[in-house]
Amino acid sequence: MSLLRIFFSSAVFSFKAQFSWLYPPMWLAMKLVMSLSQMSFFVFVGQFLITTGSADTNLIAYIAIGNAVQTLAWNTVFSVINITSHDKWDGTLPLVLATPAHRLPLFIGRAMLHVLDGMMSVAISFVYAIFLFGVNFGNTDALALIVTVFLTAFTMAGFGLLIGGFSFYFRNPLVFANIFTFILLIFCGVNFPVQQLPQPLQVVSYIFPLTYGVDAARRAIEGATLTDIAPLLGQMLIVGFIAIILGYILFRSFENMTRKTGQLEAV
Amino acid sequence: MPQTLRVIYSAFRMAMLHWIADPQWVIPNVIAPFVFTFVALTLFKEASGPFGLYAVLGGGMMGMWGNTLYSSGFAIEFEKWQGTLEEVVATPSNLLHVIAGRSVSNALFGLTNMVAILLIASLVFKVPLGVANPILFALSIVLTLLSVSALGLIFASAFVLSRYAQVFTNGLEFPIYVISGSMFPIALLPFWIHPASYLLGPTWGIEAIRIAAAQESVSVTFCLNVGVMLLITLAYVIIAAFLFKKVETKSRRDGTLVQA
Amino acid sequence: MLELSSQNVQASSDKAIVVEHLCKVFNVTKGVLRRTKTQVVAVKDVSFEIDYGELFGLVGPNGAGKTTTIKMLTTMLIPTSGTATVLGYDIQKDVKKIRERIGIVLGGERGLYTRVNAIDNLRYFADLYGVPVNTQEKRVKELLQFMGLWDRAQDRVETYSKGMKQRLHLARGLINDPQIVFMDEPTIGLDPEIAKETRNMIKELAEKGKTILLTTHYMFEADELCKRVAIIRNGEIVALDTPSGLKKYVKDTSVVEIEGFGITEKEVAKFKEVPEVLSISADLSENKQVLKIQTPKGSEIISDAQDILKNSRIYDLKVKEPTLEDAYLRLVEGSVK
Repeated sequence: MSLLRIFFSSAVFSFKAQFSWLYPPMWLAMKLVMSLSQMSFFVFVGQFLITTGSADTNLIAYIAIGNAVQTLAWNTVFSVINITSHDKWDGTLPLVLATPAHRLPLFIGRAMLHVLDGMMSVAISFVYAIFLFGVNFGNTDALALIVTVFLTAFTMAGFGLLIGGFSFYFRNPLVFANIFTFILLIFCGVNFPVQQLPQPLQVVSYIFPLTYGVDAARRAIEGATLTDIAPLLGQMLIVGFIAIILGYILFRSFENMTRKTGQLEAV
Repeated sequence: MPQTLRVIYSAFRMAMLHWIADPQWVIPNVIAPFVFTFVALTLFKEASGPFGLYAVLGGGMMGMWGNTLYSSGFAIEFEKWQGTLEEVVATPSNLLHVIAGRSVSNALFGLTNMVAILLIASLVFKVPLGVANPILFALSIVLTLLSVSALGLIFASAFVLSRYAQVFTNGLEFPIYVISGSMFPIALLPFWIHPASYLLGPTWGIEAIRIAAAQESVSVTFCLNVGVMLLITLAYVIIAAFLFKKVETKSRRDGTLVQA
Repeated sequence: MLELSSQNVQASSDKAIVVEHLCKVFNVTKGVLRRTKTQVVAVKDVSFEIDYGELFGLVGPNGAGKTTTIKMLTTMLIPTSGTATVLGYDIQKDVKKIRERIGIVLGGERGLYTRVNAIDNLRYFADLYGVPVNTQEKRVKELLQFMGLWDRAQDRVETYSKGMKQRLHLARGLINDPQIVFMDEPTIGLDPEIAKETRNMIKELAEKGKTILLTTHYMFEADELCKRVAIIRNGEIVALDTPSGLKKYVKDTSVVEIEGFGITEKEVAKFKEVPEVLSISADLSENKQVLKIQTPKGSEIISDAQDILKNSRIYDLKVKEPTLEDAYLRLVEGSVK
């Protein structure tokens, strides 16, 4: 196994999710800084467009809310993958697999922590949106919004299990995590409506629970009630559960493979 | 070739050999710039004006920075990890020069991001990619590359001197994209950020690159941007030299040239 | 074949290395959230001198301070106190001058760029050492041939065996044609064949007039190679002499070697209580136990031995002349002084 690979995967990427857990002040600082930087980057790009008359001022709110919700992707997906891949690198995976505990609850239990963490990120980002970028939250249906954020975080964590499941087959799962979290910015209607993507790519958007979540969040902030957005949330839950099930199947097949071949990776 | 340049070139060559051995490692570090540019291009699609090129150039600069931040930042740590830091420090060559070579190669490889974006921009987004003054364009890219590398050197030493610096790597990626005005004019940023923007070499560099892309004639503004960038880069090098000396002395005192 | 300079360019000193009361204390902080500081004394007080062209050995158990000493002399560590000069240059003030003129072989699995080949590794360090460009190619080739690595020179170092990597370390240590070569445990972990070859190479280098300071914990190696040996224990030098000089420490003793089965720590402890036993070293493995007892009264100890070991089985019992290894054990275990 190349030293280079181990180095980068353990040193560079694990810092992102892992290290910050060790130092609460650092964790908070990272959260505050990263959410703001990403949001402000796109908001300013949007602002640029507005000043040249190529877009109207609604774009800011669109972008801000989209990025705010997307920040939970970092925590949920990334952390879930980090947990599952961490087992592998640490060598504890064989031990975990050896326990008779039911797999699914085990993983879901651990992911819950990250779901909450993700919701925190979104909350912080919403604060930025309101106070720094002047987004109007006056008409928000609070219940609808909270439920939306929770369900989005939850389904995205499930999606993380799916990605985690794939990534077991490769040496460097953390690269996947990295790519995946950013790809969401393109596909999920975060900065622009899905319809603006080239036709063939639009299909991909609907695989991600986040696409539905961002849409629902925007509506909730505009005043839609829980019943109004229920269909969207329903679709998101379906996609999320499919992802969880697929992820679970992948984990089990990986487990079987390791039992047969005695190897912890296919590649 | 004077010994200093020889060392820098040798370190550069060694870094290139490593990239050739594992080229996939540039990918994670340029994902963010790539995605950001894609998004910008999509947003800019509706706009009238040379936004396409704007996005591509900004993306290229971001790619340079993204890769430099991670790879240069961890340059010294990487040597330590390989077990070669001691051997390198034991040579009469200055560690600063060695890491500088590596830093330059990192920025260069970060530029490959620009190539990928260029392709997507022209194929998918049909962005016209004409450049008004190719020579000045190339020159300003090279100089910006050096500026980014020099900044990378500061990070390389900071990462060794402070445990916390390493954690902040991630926190540093995006702010620089914002503060340097890679994808939008700095004028849009709140006024109190402007000082930070102007202290960043790449800010001036990206502006020079844009000017060279848009104008054929050599303007005063262009020269101003290049000049200031060079001055800032020089300041970076001086600061880096000072920090590296500290790094080496501290490591030799604490015995941390090797992994514990 | 291998052209290396055999003349030493004298600096302002008639000794190659002069060490005066070197000391190194490390401050170690442990813990992640709650950090505790402790001090580790790696080298307490070390003084010695090495002549030009001498092959000098620094011997001691793990953790004695050998590596720390070498790292201080090669400017990789800054001493806490004490001074030293290498080729007449101060290790703290003339760092660059020393680095230009010495070679270092630290060995081991790390310390090489494994994703590139041997030639690129050597070229890189040749550049860092400022080896003139027109000599570089020739010297790289010669060194690799001398070390028997030329046929595999184009292969990535990660494909090399342990022995090959060690030889590459040696090659690198000579890349700048140094006047002094420092070697830290050059044959550790090598197959006996390769270790023997390595020792021969070291002898050849010494014959060419290079000054060599090597550390090892193999006494027979020190005996074979070194003109003088310093024995270091717990950061201090406990003896410094030629190998035959050191053997005199144990000249009035014999070594009783007992091989048996069923011998435990308890019996070893009982031996220590016997007044005539100067020192005892025990190798207690599962299938066989070997005791080496140093005593001035060789054969007379046998009755004590039979008594202590009455519940065990004795396969073999020999009374031998002490070797350098025994002298070392004595000195290191502290029964002398």
